[in-house]
Amino acid sequence: MTNTLPDLRTARGWSQGDLAEALDVSRQTVNALERGKYDPSLPLAFRIAKLFKLRIEDIFHPGD
Amino acid sequence: MKTHASEREAASSGATLYGLYVLAIASALVGNLLVRLAEEAGWLGSSSRIALAVVAVIPLIVAAVMFWRLLRGELDEMVQRIVLEGMAFALTVYLPLAALYVNLRTAGAWVPRLDPPDLLMAPALLMAGGILLAWRRRQ
Repeated sequence: MTNTLPDLRTARGWSQGDLAEALDVSRQTVNALERGKYDPSLPLAFRIAKLFKLRIEDIFHPGD
Repeated sequence: MKTHASEREAASSGATLYGLYVLAIASALVGNLLVRLAEEAGWLGSSSRIALAVVAVIPLIVAAVMFWRLLRGELDEMVQRIVLEGMAFALTVYLPLAALYVNLRTAGAWVPRLDPPDLLMAPALLMAGGILLAWRRRQ
């Protein structure tokens, strides 16, 4: 699964730590999410979408 | 919110738990050694040896309870998944190896002699390896 998290985060001038704090996860989790190494749970995906005021499918895209 | 402070607290809890596990395994191993020595030397009666064997395992039970509380309450979801994958790795590797060892030994093939401490440490080491593998997959 790919995602636009790095673009969304940097557009707001946030560090990975800032995003981690806002999402109530560790910075390592944000790093793994951004690199596509970890797919979030549904509750976390909803929290991310709510934070950026977008739909989940606007942020996460299925891979090949 | 999981602030940097709470992240540090979680890491600290993890380090404390790791230390407790090391001490708990050491306690179980020392208990095992004492029970065997007591039996060979005739130091303690049967009921005292059984009591010693049970008491030596209590720290591991405490560590297990703390482990579940940490896993369910304080670790974030990716770390939870990594720990669970590590446990799954340990179980799925340990069981076939243990079955193979038992069968080969029963069949009379040469196999290295394994003492209770070896058997106790094997799942712990496999779990550490499993966690390391799961962690590396996400870096």
